[in-house]
Amino acid sequence: MATASNTIPIKVLFFGRLKEIVGRSEDSPAVAEGASIEDLFSTYRASHPELANYRSSLVASRNQEFAAWSTPLRAGDEVAFLPPVSGG
Amino acid sequence: MPRTQPTEDLFQLIRDPIEHAALVAHVRGPGDGAVVTFDGCVRNQSHGRRTLYLDYEAYESMALTKIREIASEIHEKFTVNRVAIAHRLGRLEIGETSVFIAVSAPHRPAAFDACRYAIDTLKRTVPIWKKEYFEDGAVWADGELPPAPPDAPIAKPAS
Repeated sequence: MATASNTIPIKVLFFGRLKEIVGRSEDSPAVAEGASIEDLFSTYRASHPELANYRSSLVASRNQEFAAWSTPLRAGDEVAFLPPVSGG
Repeated sequence: MPRTQPTEDLFQLIRDPIEHAALVAHVRGPGDGAVVTFDGCVRNQSHGRRTLYLDYEAYESMALTKIREIASEIHEKFTVNRVAIAHRLGRLEIGETSVFIAVSAPHRPAAFDACRYAIDTLKRTVPIWKKEYFEDGAVWADGELPPAPPDAPIAKPAS
């Protein structure tokens, strides 16, 4: 992705139907410094428009904790987009 | 933040069959008057469609964190001695156990209440997903959206 100086490396994980839509279970993009989880999702939505159908039924996590979509990303963060859970 | 966990608690995400008796034996001690268990198993139908099998996947590191948090909450809310929670991943056949919970306590009301709390909370907050396979296709099961922190105006980090 971006090679400009003001980017930070992060890790992104996909599960369930999101993994099927994106076609991979993880990604290691560089995002602009100051970008939020929502901004990150938007970049995937741009390349996989079907994701827009699921935005309202996802929660985000950052470093294994549920996180607000407005959360700013930091270098090394592990972010995941989680569909409704159905364990048990 | 997760609180200190009694070392006797046991948490598993496993691909092999869950060993019910071992989990019960694990939580059972001389100070207990009751052990309550929950055995969640794979049903043969979903909304009237015949189920062939299920396939479970998890965000394993986060799922274990969330399961540990459930146990911490149980120790805060109920007078229990030990908690064991096991969830199976991968392909499960009809009748197999997908989740097993065992709670030991001095008295039965707390053991019942804690076991119920454990499974209800697990189904709402632990990042595990199941895909249901039918004769004519497969779907990701309807699930529950975990409660997440609301978006809020972001305060600039102090750095």
